[in-house]
Amino acid sequence: MFKSSVEIFRKDFKSELRTRYAFNSLLMFVIVTIAIIKFSLGDEKTDNEILSGLFWIVVFFSASSGLSRVFIKEEEKETSVALKLSTSHPEVLAGKLIFNFALSFLINVVIFVFFIGATGIVIKNYSGFAITFFLGNLGLVSVSTIIAAIISKANSKGTLYPVLAFPVLLPLLLSLIEAGKLSAGGVETDRLLSEFLFLFSYTVVVTITSFILFKFIWED
Amino acid sequence: MDSIVKFLLDNSRVLVMLVVLIIWIGIFGYLWKLDKKVQKLEEPD
Amino acid sequence: MKTYYKILVFVILSGVCIAGFMVPIDFIPGLGERARNLFFHVPMSWVAAVAFLMSMVFSIRYLMTKNMDFDIKAHCAAEIGLLFCVLGYVTGTIWARVDWGTFLKIDEPRMMSILLLMLIYAAYLILRSSIDEEEKKARLSAVYLIIAFLTVPFFIFIMPRVFPGLHPGSADDAQSPGGGPVVKNEMNSTMRIVFYTASIGFVMLFVWIYNIRVRIEKLTIKKLRRIAI
Repeated sequence: MFKSSVEIFRKDFKSELRTRYAFNSLLMFVIVTIAIIKFSLGDEKTDNEILSGLFWIVVFFSASSGLSRVFIKEEEKETSVALKLSTSHPEVLAGKLIFNFALSFLINVVIFVFFIGATGIVIKNYSGFAITFFLGNLGLVSVSTIIAAIISKANSKGTLYPVLAFPVLLPLLLSLIEAGKLSAGGVETDRLLSEFLFLFSYTVVVTITSFILFKFIWED
Repeated sequence: MDSIVKFLLDNSRVLVMLVVLIIWIGIFGYLWKLDKKVQKLEEPD
Repeated sequence: MKTYYKILVFVILSGVCIAGFMVPIDFIPGLGERARNLFFHVPMSWVAAVAFLMSMVFSIRYLMTKNMDFDIKAHCAAEIGLLFCVLGYVTGTIWARVDWGTFLKIDEPRMMSILLLMLIYAAYLILRSSIDEEEKKARLSAVYLIIAFLTVPFFIFIMPRVFPGLHPGSADDAQSPGGGPVVKNEMNSTMRIVFYTASIGFVMLFVWIYNIRVRIEKLTIKKLRRIAI
């Protein structure tokens, strides 16, 4: 099972390298969003708490324009039939999860670097923020991959994603914003443990449910 | 005039109750009619 | 639906309307007459949660059996549930404007939970409207509802009790320490009778509206099939 998942990941990675469509458009999206945030903040000194909230907003919307592409791509090029023939459904989902995780991690690191450069946010507890960042990525990917699979079968693909993803991501975002705020404010890592536990268990639950339900989406 | 205003102020609870009751009766009447209509449509088969 | 059922609904809810405004209530400090909202706002919100549970159960059964009847039941329950959810939210938010000074208090757990419920219902119905094929529509929306439902028990039952908030029964509520049930300490016996009657009445009203909605949906499908033939 693991081998063909990696194979799917490599296929997606190669086709991404060839066009670099998803990465480039995401990069532009991130630059534009951070520029708008910078313009609206002006030269004012903004609270770290507000800034770390804004950071997760940028992450959420860039995820909504980037991570939803994985399954839509297959439908548009009509390659999903070939995938269906050659592998079984858990393998497809696992491969897409790996690809989405790589893409999301890459783009979020870019967001993080740009965000620090543009707004000058000060993070006092770096290790706590790094763990939040990592767990947040995992959760975001687990939710957005299964939602992407659902919308790839629907008609209005572009606008549907944020509508469907927001209610599912809301608990995650609340916890992320809280943990980000606390770690930026310099709270020690032990006190963030309950947030980490919630983020992790949420990700696990969503991933397991996706593996159970994915066959109903994938069959046609 | 003052006595009317005073009466209304003292009994505002009753007024609200009456308005709510009228709305509820309206909703009930609508549902009742809808139910009858659906029943009629279901009959032929 | 039998005729006596409808008349029973009418009698119960009319009684609740009258009693809810007329019975003398214990004055909860700081609330006064506004506490009467309890008889309407709480049952409505509860009906919304029950409807959500119903549509979730029907969605699971649809995926297990592939019987279209369950899909009809699931989305009708979701529609009527959204109606009650909006009603519960509106009665609450107007009340919050008067008592807490704002329409939307974002760090209030129960407000967050009902907002989340409303968003899920709405997203579910939007997803349904964007797919044409009946079978595919049923399948995808059932999957979405199950995934969206994962966090709802946490939001409805656990979060409002564990986190501090302004609703009765929150963690920092002085009158029921430890986050006890909402109705325990704040109502006297008359209020309790009206409250439970209202809960029963609203659930019965929900069942009636839901019944009409399912029948209309079935008629529509039958008619569409006849046209297609």
